[in-house]
Amino acid sequence: MAVGPTRRAVLAASAAAVPLLVSACRGVQVLGTPPGTAPDVRLLRSAIAAERLMVARYRAAVAEASPAAHPAVATLTGILAEHEQHLAQLNARLVVPEGSASKSPPAAAASGSLPAGLANALLALETAEQDASDTLASQLLRVPPSLAQLMASISASEATHVPVLRSLGRVR
Amino acid sequence: MAGAVSAQAIARLQAALAAEQAACYGYGVVGAYLSGSAAARADSDWVAHELARDSLSAAITAAGADPVPAAVAYQMPIQVRSAVQAVALAVILEQRVAEAYIGLVGLNDLTLRALGARQIRDAALRATTWSHATAAFPGLPGSSLSAPGSTRAISEPG
Repeated sequence: MAVGPTRRAVLAASAAAVPLLVSACRGVQVLGTPPGTAPDVRLLRSAIAAERLMVARYRAAVAEASPAAHPAVATLTGILAEHEQHLAQLNARLVVPEGSASKSPPAAAASGSLPAGLANALLALETAEQDASDTLASQLLRVPPSLAQLMASISASEATHVPVLRSLGRVR
Repeated sequence: MAGAVSAQAIARLQAALAAEQAACYGYGVVGAYLSGSAAARADSDWVAHELARDSLSAAITAAGADPVPAAVAYQMPIQVRSAVQAVALAVILEQRVAEAYIGLVGLNDLTLRALGARQIRDAALRATTWSHATAAFPGLPGSSLSAPGSTRAISEPG
């Protein structure tokens, strides 16, 4: 994990984030240590990483469920599209200044390994969605309001994937 | 909900309350066109909205404000004359409730923020149970989402 670009990343968010960043700088001077990542930027990066992992997992699940005639493929593809939208909106909140590393590491960085067999993969996705939803629900208490709203919405979306995956598992 | 509640927080609680009041009314319409397990589900969702309404009302009173009164009747967003339309109305009601609670998530009061997030999730889950469909951004109006490249940096730490 590169440290330089991480330190320099900022939130593209509401003005509410400004006092937080300013006070973080003051604290750093007192401590006399190099500036660390602002906590909300760290949380945003963690949410981006989690979302990227979900996208990778669903791509693996769609491959597992192919051929395209399989009834699960359409549903999994639909959920994958929602995760791609989540990822795009989260990425849009992170601004990395010109000249530093790209905000999106190579796709290979996220490995979406799932247990073998579609039934097991669906179960694993169900657990992953619930965990991702719960994690965002706690992270949204530690970020600026506008990012909290996005996280709450994504958390709700991920929670709704759980019953859909469950019914998909039953249909089989 | 102890301590001072800001005027902004009260306004957003009132907006959520108004949405819950409309949902309570709307679920009365929904339930009237359903039978069997769908009617039972409409009943339990109705109760969930009544509980949420009462708890918002209590929170507003505790904050020293008067809860907005419910309307005598509400214009439904779609005409309901069948079970299919009733289900469609339930989905719309849940979407509107979620949109009202997103205002609470935008507050710095973490108790209210957590409440809003929980309610958006529950509304989205109820909507999915009715529609068997999911949405990428429950509660968020499309206009609040970023088009690619439209955001700006506000500051740089350090």
